[in-house]
Amino acid sequence: MTVFWQLVLNGLMLGGLFAIISVGLTLIFGIIRLVNFAHGELLMVGMYATFLLTTQLGVHPYALAPPVVLLLFVVGVLIQRFILQPLLEARDHHVQIFATVGLSTALINLALLLFGADIHSTPGYGARTPLAFGPFRILTGHVVMFVAGILVVGGLHVFLQRTYLGRAIRATAQHRHAAQLMGIDINKIYIITFGIGAACVGLAATLVAPMYPVSPTVGTYFVLTAFVVVVLGGMGSLHGAFIGALIIGLVDSLSGYYIAPDLKEVVIFAIFLLILLVRPTGLFGLGRGSE
Amino acid sequence: MALRIRPALGIVAGLALGLLAGTAQADVKLGALFPFSGELALLGDESWRGVELAAEEFNAKGGINGEKVQFLRGDAVDNNQAIAEARRLISVEEVKAIFGTYSSSRSQVASQVAELAGIPYFELGAVSDDITGRGFQYLFRTNPTAKAMAVRTVELITDVIAPRLEVEPSALKIAIIHEDSLYGTTVAGFQNEFGAKANLNIVETLAYPASTVDLSSTILRLQQNEIDVVLQTSYQNDSVLFFRQAHEAGFKPKAVIDGGGGYSLVDTAQAVGTEIIDGAFNADVTQYAVNPAAAPGIEDFVAAYQEKYGSAPRSGHSLLHYTGAKVLLEALAKAESLEPDAIVAAVKAIDIPAGGTPEGWGVKFGEDGQNERATMMGMQWQDGKLVTVWPPEAAVAEVRLTKSE
Repeated sequence: MTVFWQLVLNGLMLGGLFAIISVGLTLIFGIIRLVNFAHGELLMVGMYATFLLTTQLGVHPYALAPPVVLLLFVVGVLIQRFILQPLLEARDHHVQIFATVGLSTALINLALLLFGADIHSTPGYGARTPLAFGPFRILTGHVVMFVAGILVVGGLHVFLQRTYLGRAIRATAQHRHAAQLMGIDINKIYIITFGIGAACVGLAATLVAPMYPVSPTVGTYFVLTAFVVVVLGGMGSLHGAFIGALIIGLVDSLSGYYIAPDLKEVVIFAIFLLILLVRPTGLFGLGRGSE
Repeated sequence: MALRIRPALGIVAGLALGLLAGTAQADVKLGALFPFSGELALLGDESWRGVELAAEEFNAKGGINGEKVQFLRGDAVDNNQAIAEARRLISVEEVKAIFGTYSSSRSQVASQVAELAGIPYFELGAVSDDITGRGFQYLFRTNPTAKAMAVRTVELITDVIAPRLEVEPSALKIAIIHEDSLYGTTVAGFQNEFGAKANLNIVETLAYPASTVDLSSTILRLQQNEIDVVLQTSYQNDSVLFFRQAHEAGFKPKAVIDGGGGYSLVDTAQAVGTEIIDGAFNADVTQYAVNPAAAPGIEDFVAAYQEKYGSAPRSGHSLLHYTGAKVLLEALAKAESLEPDAIVAAVKAIDIPAGGTPEGWGVKFGEDGQNERATMMGMQWQDGKLVTVWPPEAAVAEVRLTKSE
């Protein structure tokens, strides 16, 4: 029984990791209706920034959250303004998706050029210290990620529900033309939303960096699971993404032990397909009413 | 300003090309096919440096009957490009043979092009066993393969670890974990095969995708089965992940043996933490902390490398490719002509006993074109350094492993 609960604990912690990475993705999808294939590479950019600042300045990676979040916000704003927005009026919206695929490849190769293919390890500063509770062990860094995931989802929820800007963002998501008629500058809303989505990835990067070494392809390790999480939770649903992440974390952990580690992806993607077939809107999706 | 420089540059470039073409005509042209750009560029370039040094040394000694060899580089950035570059080298540059390739998948496709054209293809660094074994006439491989890696890992258990733990090898509970691409699967398959022959108790074989971000459930499974020895075949990311998570979960097997790749790199040790990786064994191609008496010529190679590139070799790949290129160039010098069949005859006649090359192994090609005398070394991480501990004649340090209570 101890093993089972340790697996559950590991699964929840892994879920926390997936959650913090998926929040930005689901936000961008829900509001801008854009599948951002460069999401993993934004994480990579944030992790390199954290790595460089930590090793150069000797600062705790968590303390770098404000500058890295700001950096990624700016990167997100620039991407939306100068790459995606000009494509918004293209007849086929798939062009934007291809643009993010191109951006992803470009960023990976830029990182290869700048940093080489080798991995770089950000100092842990205690994030990888195991905490023991009786027979159970969890890592400090995982607990931090889990808590941060809850705070980000809660914070964004309040922001979207209670503030004027948040309401404008939700209005744009519900019906962009109606929102425009109500005097909302939807281009500005898109730019801000992409910026916020990227900023969430920036926060994730500072929390992930001490746990995992960074390399140009690090984003690809996480992003596929993040897509499953977003679909499972319901695209665009923040708390859906959080719960979806926990489910995927648990499935990953339990199937890795009770079935086989090389089959856990089979199980995860079987769930992915099943959700798409049975409930395409995901567990907490907005349903057909939304645009 | 720019306008004025451009014609001047053009003239200089033209002159340079003319000069190159002029010298090229007098030389024996050979192809060097490596990934010089893209993801594998770092180690592709390191491999090429070995070939370059071998060629310089060979030319300084007189070349082929006084004619110098000149290597023309082809960039095998991916499989398609490897095919295109092999074609270019053969049909446009008319090289007499191609040397390559470091990457198994590139080698697999490029050697096919050479075989069809009837041009000898010399593989010096790709480890996948499948490359030889396709019945090719013009393909030869000098370096050891995944099979040699498995042979060495099993030998480390039977001859090194079990005696020091004062148990019979069959009393140790062994688990094989490997990344699930062709590389890990091949090595693990041979480990199972040779392990069974050596009567080892292999409790389980677990595969995982190399891109995994969590191995905690795999580690928990090993813990529950009270595994004594873990054999891992992995890339860099999963090597780091396994060691970190095993340490964090408090899993301490009596020994861990790893196959090549990620484990031989100093970066991996540093990412894991040198105190955590300390004591881990590794089966891989010859590295530099080796007894020079068992690897004649290795000291000269390191000195020549330092002289030319201004740093110590970045990995064992340069030595591996240097050794292969050196042996093959010497065979070319003895060939009756540089026609493909004469080259093949000369290469088949190579007979160097074990301990006769800077890698420590000998050279004798089998029917399939694989060097049957190529072996790997047994190494151990000690105080942040990867030192050779097995076989005894190549060892520079004692094995650190004692029976724990």
